[in-house]
Amino acid sequence: MSDLDKAIAQLRACRPIPENQVRELCYKARELLIEEGNVVSVDAPVTICGDIHGQFHDLMELFRVGGDVPETNYLFMGDFVDRGFYSLESFLLLLCLKVRYPDRITLIRGNHESRQITTVYGFYDECLRKYGSANVWRYCCEVFDYLALGALVMGASTELDASDAPLADPTSQSTLPSDADDLEIEILNSAGQIINRFMRARNNTSQDLSQLSNPPSSPSQQTPSRNGAPGTGASGASRGSGGNNGGAVLCVHGGLSPLIDSIDKIRLLDRKQEVPHEGAMCDLLWSDPDEIDGWGLSPRGAGFLFGADIVKCFNHKNDLSLICRAHQLVMEGFKEMFDSTIVTVWSAPNYCYRCGNVAAILELGEDGSNGGYAPRSNGDVGRSNVVLAERMEQRQGPGRRYRVFEAAPQDSRGMPAKKPVADYFL
Amino acid sequence: MAHAGQAASAAAAAAASADRKRVKVYELKNNDWYDRGTGFCTGQYVNSPNSTQENPDARVLVVSEDDPNRKLLETQITKDDGYQKQQDTLIVWTESNGVDMALSFQEAEGCASIWEFVSEMQGRLAALAPEDGLSDDLLDPVHSIVLPEPQLGRLDEVENTIRGASTTPAGRDALSKFIMHPEQMYILKLAPLVERAEELESTPDLHRLCMVMKHLILLNDTAIIEFVVTDQAIMGVVGALECKHTVSRYIVGTISANTFADDPDFPSHRANHRQWLSDTSKFKEVVQIDDEEIKRKIHWTYRLLYLKDVVLARILDDPTFSVLNSLIFFHQVDIVNHLQSNQRFLKELFDIFAASSEEKAEKKKEAVLFIQNCCAVSKNIQAQSRAQLYQNFIHHGLFSVVTFALRHHDASVRVAGTDILVALIDHDPHLVRNHIFTAIKEKGVPLTDTLIELLLVEVDLGVKSQMADAIKILLDPTTNQAGIEMLNRGGAANADVMAKRGASGGPGPQGQQNGPQSQTNQFIDSFYESSAKRLFTPLKALLNRPTMSNLSVQETSLYTHLVDVLCFFVRQHSYKSKLFILSENLHSRVAQLLACPQKYMKLMALKWFRTCVGLQDEFHNRQMIQNSLFDPILLIVEETMPRDNLLNSACLELFEYVKREGVKQLIVHLVENYRERLMHITYVNTFQALVMKYDQLTSGYPMANGAEDSSFTTQEGTPQRLADGRQSFAGLKGMDADEEAYFNNDDDGEDDEGLPTVVKRAMINGASPVRPLVSYPDDDDGEEGMDILASSPDPSKEKKSSSSSSDDQRTFTDPIDATQGEPMDEDTTSPTGTVENESPRGRNRTPVAVRGSPGNQGSPPEPLATKRRRDEEDDDDLGKMMGGGVKRRTSSASLSGRAAQLNMDGAVDNSTSRPEPDEENGGPVHNAQSQPSHAHGHGNSHMLRRKGSLRTKNESASERFAIKPISLSAVKQQAEPEENGGKER
Repeated sequence: MSDLDKAIAQLRACRPIPENQVRELCYKARELLIEEGNVVSVDAPVTICGDIHGQFHDLMELFRVGGDVPETNYLFMGDFVDRGFYSLESFLLLLCLKVRYPDRITLIRGNHESRQITTVYGFYDECLRKYGSANVWRYCCEVFDYLALGALVMGASTELDASDAPLADPTSQSTLPSDADDLEIEILNSAGQIINRFMRARNNTSQDLSQLSNPPSSPSQQTPSRNGAPGTGASGASRGSGGNNGGAVLCVHGGLSPLIDSIDKIRLLDRKQEVPHEGAMCDLLWSDPDEIDGWGLSPRGAGFLFGADIVKCFNHKNDLSLICRAHQLVMEGFKEMFDSTIVTVWSAPNYCYRCGNVAAILELGEDGSNGGYAPRSNGDVGRSNVVLAERMEQRQGPGRRYRVFEAAPQDSRGMPAKKPVADYFL
Repeated sequence: MAHAGQAASAAAAAAASADRKRVKVYELKNNDWYDRGTGFCTGQYVNSPNSTQENPDARVLVVSEDDPNRKLLETQITKDDGYQKQQDTLIVWTESNGVDMALSFQEAEGCASIWEFVSEMQGRLAALAPEDGLSDDLLDPVHSIVLPEPQLGRLDEVENTIRGASTTPAGRDALSKFIMHPEQMYILKLAPLVERAEELESTPDLHRLCMVMKHLILLNDTAIIEFVVTDQAIMGVVGALECKHTVSRYIVGTISANTFADDPDFPSHRANHRQWLSDTSKFKEVVQIDDEEIKRKIHWTYRLLYLKDVVLARILDDPTFSVLNSLIFFHQVDIVNHLQSNQRFLKELFDIFAASSEEKAEKKKEAVLFIQNCCAVSKNIQAQSRAQLYQNFIHHGLFSVVTFALRHHDASVRVAGTDILVALIDHDPHLVRNHIFTAIKEKGVPLTDTLIELLLVEVDLGVKSQMADAIKILLDPTTNQAGIEMLNRGGAANADVMAKRGASGGPGPQGQQNGPQSQTNQFIDSFYESSAKRLFTPLKALLNRPTMSNLSVQETSLYTHLVDVLCFFVRQHSYKSKLFILSENLHSRVAQLLACPQKYMKLMALKWFRTCVGLQDEFHNRQMIQNSLFDPILLIVEETMPRDNLLNSACLELFEYVKREGVKQLIVHLVENYRERLMHITYVNTFQALVMKYDQLTSGYPMANGAEDSSFTTQEGTPQRLADGRQSFAGLKGMDADEEAYFNNDDDGEDDEGLPTVVKRAMINGASPVRPLVSYPDDDDGEEGMDILASSPDPSKEKKSSSSSSDDQRTFTDPIDATQGEPMDEDTTSPTGTVENESPRGRNRTPVAVRGSPGNQGSPPEPLATKRRRDEEDDDDLGKMMGGGVKRRTSSASLSGRAAQLNMDGAVDNSTSRPEPDEENGGPVHNAQSQPSHAHGHGNSHMLRRKGSLRTKNESASERFAIKPISLSAVKQQAEPEENGGKER
């Protein structure tokens, strides 16, 4: 067992690794991340996750529901730290997994991956408490600076093979679409049972999909009838289907920026720095979609609000079928907006151990034909123009399988939250 | 005048001391206790139209002790205010407007007599209003609750009774009374049961005991919580609470065993609190503390923290959490005040370091750690207490302790030393700089040199970076500025004061600032005279190094820090650092690092050049040109292209910046020397665009399109703002003049040296729009202030203010708007609606706002202020969701109607949710959502903010203190003149 595997095992048990190991880990991670572009290319199938916020046990629940690394391909959209009691263990575990399976897990930066924010929202204090000095915090912050700003998921299938899982509520059999041909969205609970399905509307896309802005009633009432069934993972269900290329999916923590009209422009940022207070990099990590026209002032004081028109233009220009982002708590775990052109995914159940929300992860299946798309590099000059001329209608969104899960049982986490200092003077 | 005042108030105090009680008035704001001042407290009946014989208007009145005409507090006693007496000297309650208040009495007797007055009044008022629902509750039969005598067989009965009683406020009250009844001492009776149940290995009993204890603590009665941490109770209490884990695992063992490995620290998942508190944790009394009360408080505080962080971390609800925090806070204030005023104690403490004997080594180490502990605790208390602590520490030789600690062979002591130093600088940089000046005058080794020397040899990478940070902070001319910003934000002062400060060219705060400012400048001057050379010696030594391929980890780390510090210096001390950089030829040295095989070293070096280019300073540009330093950078582009990685992006960004900003000097240099190479880089259009730009330049077109392209103005906002900030900052006229002179001597005539003649002509013909930004030599202060003023009546801000519901919010929003709102508004209003035409939208908006708006240039750079603001906003998502309803609430929900208990909780809740961004920003949409959440939603914000608030509060508290119209007692002023120093800042 390599040192790294040992560290992973130790972190999975929610025990921090020694400071010198953290340093080594961070150095290794730095070597890896420095090779990543500002927007990382990720191939489907992939499972996309939102904010974690140091809720270690819920992260373990996420892995239980979504499948373990490396069996499932993961993309985490930032905000690993702060607020929860186990920021350190959560982030280090993810980082270990990244170093161990660099191609199976992608980490991008959230607004909490910043020195300023972490000093206020808990990660700094946690490191101080767990190690007695801020060194580990410094190492981690250094890694934050290297994290990519976004990811582009390619080759996601527009088709979704209906999983043959049982229905969570057998009485809904008649109301749920059974014809699996045109499935666009499937929502599963943490026991792998189907809660709801949505068919792709054939003609009037926008009208029918608009109902999904309010996903079906929160599945939180349903108690999983069986425990421990690991999720099948994104790779299983749709592999081999001959779907079409669903257009790329842009994943970013916050949202769009008025300074970024094409993904290529993100490439021209020097991301290795503390998250600035303004500018494109700041916006990508801080903005939120909102029911407005155009751009609006963000109540957060950083980033902007952007409306449906902005999203649609951006998706169109960049040949995207979907923007996937995190950053905002949604009670149902995910929320599709603007005719399903953007989705918020939130992966911290019962946020701050008290919000009562459920969490979700989003699985995108692989486009089985594997020839339906040409791998694009960010450097393709003038690509966007061609696209613009070719296609004037909205891209079909990829097939989406949401797995909704609740907080890990209280009792699986019965350990003290913080190690106290042994010696005290005052 | 001051003397007369002192005499008068002293006399008044003496005369009135019989019936007036000296007291400090605290107000809970943003989850912190702010000191409203010190004065004398009386309880009075007031003749008012509404008062009758039966229903008198009774008030608690506090008049300032140095100005008897000023009332610090006047509050009418109502029956609903939930007055509570805590410890012996504290009375806490909630004002009818929801603000939490506290009176901290100097004497316990004073507290007792006021408390008597208040209780009596409340009793009378309660009797008057039997129709009130609450009073009905009070008359409820559960009023006198009795729990069964605790024994193992009847625990379920006990638990059920407690459960039943805690559902109503009155029941909880009665329960608390019963539990704390001196004849009962119920909690003490539970302790032996824990041991007996353990002997019998009766898991169900242990579980019940745990639940009982948990319920009792969550009754959230201050008296109970104070009691459980006393020596007699603590072991029994944590003993009972240990059991929870055992049992819960027993119940759901299957899940946890499958999914999670056991924690080896808790092999049976059974917490070992008792063992920890009795054996593992050690109270180290470095110097004997005579006062038993203080000693007890130290233990209590430790146990409260342990309860809060460990034992109860999972089950705490917000009201209990804030009660714990308040208790800890008041204890810490007492402890620190006691220590810092105890001369004998301080002398003994610092005498430890005077002893030279070897055997004292361990003692010295502990003393350093003790002082570090003190400094850490003092961060949580009010500024003036902290100031006194530091003053007394310094008086006794804190600086030599720091020097001692920094040179200690044990890394943990060095960490402590830097910690103390950084805390000290954070508290008051001028104090530290003054000390260093003195050292220089006395030909001693100044602290800066010690730091530098140690940074260069330090092997512990963590300590090394801490030292690098300390050097930066010490030499940061804006440290002071940041403090002033904080002051404005935290205080009652708001945009008005901001504006005034900005507008005041001479007098006022600006004037005050000049003193420290010139000191800072002097300090920086002296740094460049000698220390700087020492600091950057290793960098200079690169000159003779044949290869970069064999740098050790220690070396790369050192160079990383040095380059980082250098980047900081060049932004902050532009003029002074330039001469130094030139004489040491540091540009070329840093460029050597570009050849390191380690990519992060290349990045670090790139960062340096990007910083220099971002300054748009001809001096730096010329240095880079003369030394052909773009050559290695281009080389990196060629090596990494067309791969999309961080290094490549960083290079692209640099050239993109040159292109976008149209830095002619560099464009000309680049194209004339590397045209072929540029043209060959085709995977992005940046490089061809550079060549095109050059061609336009040489063909005589004015390079007006710089602006067009600058839509992409992204984070160079940062360096630019900083650069501008440096100039506008504090109106450094002298410095700017110097700088001007420097440029006039140096640059005149050769300004356009690199340009072809054609271009030169073009330039003369008004190509200047290219760089409208570069020099605003002295935007005078008046203009700056006007900008800020002008932004105040900004409509969007008006809207915000009006929708905010309290003045406190204003203090938050206004300075923000003054600095931020304006540019952002410009950004966003114009583009709204221009959807279909996306590319102009993307292009035009921001440059106008960011670069063109004078308001933006004028606004002072307030990195700290903005940071805080952002931090506060960050709770946004939570705030929004709270509107969605909170499903999980613990026992606190039942508290809401409970007048008697509302004192701490209710107000904490209100105040903590206040800075929630939704309300703060007053977005109408969000407001509607978040308002109703007040009653129930407070918890989250509190939870979220607790760390942050602990951190931020004191800065703001300190600055607040400085500008608030509170004057300290005359007596105090005499005794502790340093408080004046605090005010001047």
